[in-house]
This record gives sequence, C-alpha cells and structure tokens, in this order.
Amino acid sequence: MACPDCDLLQTIPPLAEGESVSCLRCSATLFKHHKNSINRSLAFAITGLILYVIANMFPLLSLKAMGLMQDSTLLSTAISLYQADRPLLSVVLLLTTIVFPATTLIGTIYILLQVKTNNTDEFTAPLFRFLRSTDAWGMLEIFMLAMLVSIVKLGDLADVIFGVSLYAFVLLILALSLLSASLNPHDVWNRLRDNDGCQN
Amino acid sequence: MMFGTDYVIMTVAKIEKQTPMNIQTARQAGLVACHFCDTLSKLPETQLAEVDDIKNPDYHCSCCGSSIHSRIPNSLNKTWALLIAAIILYVPANTLPIMTVVMWGDGQADTIMSGVFHLMDGGMWPLALLIFVASIFIPVLKLIILTGLLLSVSFKSRWKPRDRTILYRITEFVGRWSMVDIFVIGILVSLVQFGNTASVNPGIGSLSFAAVVILTMFAAHTFDPRLIWDVIDDNDAQ
Repeated sequence: MACPDCDLLQTIPPLAEGESVSCLRCSATLFKHHKNSINRSLAFAITGLILYVIANMFPLLSLKAMGLMQDSTLLSTAISLYQADRPLLSVVLLLTTIVFPATTLIGTIYILLQVKTNNTDEFTAPLFRFLRSTDAWGMLEIFMLAMLVSIVKLGDLADVIFGVSLYAFVLLILALSLLSASLNPHDVWNRLRDNDGCQN
Repeated sequence: MMFGTDYVIMTVAKIEKQTPMNIQTARQAGLVACHFCDTLSKLPETQLAEVDDIKNPDYHCSCCGSSIHSRIPNSLNKTWALLIAAIILYVPANTLPIMTVVMWGDGQADTIMSGVFHLMDGGMWPLALLIFVASIFIPVLKLIILTGLLLSVSFKSRWKPRDRTILYRITEFVGRWSMVDIFVIGILVSLVQFGNTASVNPGIGSLSFAAVVILTMFAAHTFDPRLIWDVIDDNDAQ
C-alpha cells in the first residue's frame, strides 16, 4: 500500500483486531483493523437516523423574554438567515447542518445493508465515494459548540430553555462520532472488490 | 476518539523497518494509488507521465472506478488561487461587522474582534478565548501554514518534510471548526427576534468570513502533501 500523504510503498502486516499501522516516515495512519466494523457502523447509523429525525422535529432551544417565546430548530436557523437577507449563509447552514448529515446517515445505512446482503450494484462505489468526500462538510458537532456559546451569551439577557430535541441532538452527535470511529472504509471497499473481482 | 471502547482505542502495530534498498514510492515503482480505496494500479511509463495532465482523458481505478492521479493535477496552482482569494476576503471578514445587535431601537455593530472584546468586558473569558481561537487564531494560522507549505514546495525545500506533513494534517483537521462563529450568528438571529426591542441581524462580514473558512477548506483539500516528499525522493533517486 502507498501512503496517501507521502507515497511511500509499505507492506501492511497482518493486524489483530483494534490495531492500526502508521506510515514509517510521515506517521500518517495507513490502516486500522476494526472489530465487527460493518455491523457496528450499521447500528450506529440507524440509531443516528432515528435521533436525527427527532432532533429536527422539535425545538432545540427556546428564548423567553418579555413574555414572548422564540423557538429555534436546525431548519429555522437556516430559514431566519434567509429572511435576514443572507441567502448564501442560509445555504451554507442548510448544507452543513441538515443535508450532509442526512445524506451521510441514509447513504451509510443503504451501502452497509447492500454490503451485508451482497447486493452491491454499479452505484454503490460512486455513492460511497460521494459520502467519503462530503464527510468533512457535515458539521453538526460544530453546531453543538455554537449552541453552547449562544446559551452562555444569551444567559444574562434572557431565559434560555432547552428544547425536547436538544437531548436527541446531543445523542446524535455521540452516534455520529461513534459511527465515524467504527466505520472502516477499507472493509467496504474490500467487499466491493470481492464482488467485482478486480485486482489489487 | 474520546470514547473508551475497544474499537476506538487502537494499539499501534509496527511496520518492520525497511532497509534503504527497498524504500520506494508508488510513483517510482510505476504505480498509482487510488485516493479512495488505496488500490494500486500499475501503469506503463508512457501513461505515468500523462496521468496527472488535466488535458488527458481520465484514468480510472480498476476497483472502485474513481479517476486516479499520481499527484493531484495542478495542485499548486489551484491551492494558490483558493488561498489568495481567502486572503483577500479575510480583510472584509475582519473589518466589516459580522452582526448587528439591536436593543431598544439602538443598533450596535460588531466585528469579530470587537465581539471578542465584548465577551471579555462581560467577564466571559473562556468564551472570549474560544471565539478568539476559532475565529482569529485558526484562520490566520491556516493562511500562514498553507502559504508556507506552498512556498516550501515551490522552492524545493528539504526542511523537515515529516513536520511539514504533520502541520498539513493539523491544518486540514482543525479548519472546519472556524465555522462555529457563523453558526452562533445563525442561532442568535433565529432566537433573538423581538422586533425593535431586541433583534440580531447578520452583517456582511459574516458572509466574507464564511467564504474564508470554506475557501481555506478547499485549499487544504487541493494541496497534495506528497509534493513535499517528491523533492527528497527525486534527489535521492539520482
């Protein structure tokens, strides 16, 4: 295998479960051997999808001031930027906090089910490539940090009320990080490789 | 990586030390690695020369079908273009207001830096530090590191290639966290909507700032760290 960061050819030794190897000269992680990667990832992705739906259904945060209540969800955050004459920012929020997390969850479930049932077709590889390249653009964990910042910022001025969805949202972040920790892309590519009979 | 379960914490297996004789890059061996699935494709020397030329038809990975390149085509030019655009936009991002807070009819416009100062005045030191790191420190650091990496590759520097590669990986990893300020603005705008009594409006600076973050993310993505090592490998081969 060639190191993706420095192109050095190296032979990957047989790995025990839970082991990883790094490049000899630039220390990039070359390969990880995950325990039961496909099943665990599928479990986390399905959990994540359920939590994602709940997190989008009810308000995340509410602000109570002067007898008035203002709710906020992921979608209403994007919409209010649009209403405030910032359509481009609105699109950025829509993509990073709603669209890409959803495609990651749904796409991952679809591909893992295909791999598990040996039903891969010619669209599996392009779809998985798309998911790998958009992985960095789902930014829910950053949105989580932004909510914490907002809660502290608004704390002196008004009452911030935690919405029903906030708890689902926190668990969703957990499920997403467990998903990215347990999913080993090599496992998926290897299955695709077996099915297509292509050579390494 | 913070959950102490068995598949998250990895022990590191050692690749056996290779003797200088068999240290060889994929390119020297006439191989092209797939960016996605790491499959190595063997190309004859004539094709190896043109696999990175954008005018030539694509070569595809035999396993997953994605187009393969020995190095990212035109990596330096593309990264320079994105980086220069980001540096230019960095000026309005910091001088124009990112948001205006209206309280009892009075509007107060905040830039990124004045927002940090307001938090400090309000005694919210940890928050001020967080926003400073995410919105000022990381973007500036990213612009400087990427410029440095591009210059070092252009001037064929042999200085500490391993450290430069690690710097690159850090840059690629932390860049997206600068978006936190944009999300804070979004949340404040959607929550504080009480007409003239209290409301928050996103300023034009926030758009420039989001553009800086996105452009530097793309710039980090189009930079090929293998270029850092090519100088050393090509010299050693002679």
